[in-house]
Amino acid sequence: MSLLHIILPAKMDHLEEFIQPLSRWLQQHGLAAEKIPRVQLAVEEALVNIIRYAYEGQPGDIELRGGITDDQRFTIDILDSGVPFDVRSLAKPDIHCSVRDRKMGGLGVFLIQRMVDELLYRREGDKNVLTMFICGNNGRFSGSSQDMHAGA
Amino acid sequence: MEIDVKKEGQVVIIALTGRMDAVSAPQFDKTVDDFIDQGETQILIDFKSLEYISSAGLQSILALAKRLEPINGAVILSDLNGAVKEVFEISGFSSIFPIYDNLDAAKASV
Repeated sequence: MSLLHIILPAKMDHLEEFIQPLSRWLQQHGLAAEKIPRVQLAVEEALVNIIRYAYEGQPGDIELRGGITDDQRFTIDILDSGVPFDVRSLAKPDIHCSVRDRKMGGLGVFLIQRMVDELLYRREGDKNVLTMFICGNNGRFSGSSQDMHAGA
Repeated sequence: MEIDVKKEGQVVIIALTGRMDAVSAPQFDKTVDDFIDQGETQILIDFKSLEYISSAGLQSILALAKRLEPINGAVILSDLNGAVKEVFEISGFSSIFPIYDNLDAAKASV
C-alpha cells in the first residue's frame, strides 16, 4: 500500500515539513476531512516531544512512515534514536483543576492518546517506535468501500 | 498564524487566524507579554478564524491566565470552532476559562 516516508532533523524548523506532506497523503488516501486535524495534532505532539526531549540537546533525526493496513486503517510510525521513552507511561494530567493549580505540562501526550484509535510503543534496537492507528471509515475498523483509495 | 490586535476601552482584543502550534505559539506569548508589560490586564482572545491548536497553544493561553491572575486580570475567549473547540473540551480548558459564543457576547461580559 502507498507509503509515506520522511526523515528530517529533530528541529522545530522542520515541523511543517512533516505535517504538510502527511496531511496531503491522508487526504489523497481518503481519510475523512474532519479527522485530518486530529491526526495532525497527534503527530505534532509526538514530534515536539522528540524535538524537545529525545536527544537532550544533541542533534538527531526523526523518521515518519505512513501506511494503510489491509483493514483500511492508517498507520503512522514515528521513530527516533533518542533516550528510551514510552509516551504511554506518563500519568494523565488532572484536567479538572483551576488555572492556579493547573500544571503546564503533560497535555501533549494526553492529546495524542485521545486523537488516535490505537497507540503502540516499542523499543527497536536503539530506536523509539511510536505507532498510531487511525480508522479510515468513520471509526469502523473494516471498511468495505474500495473507492476510498481512488486518489492513490 | 496571524495575530491582529486592537484595544476597545480597557480590553485588548486579540484575533487569531490560522494555526496555533509549537512554532507559532511563541509569537502569541511575545504579543501578550508586551501588553501585560504595558499594564494591560483584560485580554479577550477571538478564536473565530483559528483552525487548529495544539498543546503548545493551550500552554500559551494557560501561561497568560497564570500571569494575569495575581494582578486581577482576566482572559476571556470567544467563538471557538471545530477542531479548536474539541481540543479545549478534551483538555478540560473549556471549564477553566470564560468562553462566549461570539465576540459581542464576550465584550459585553467585561
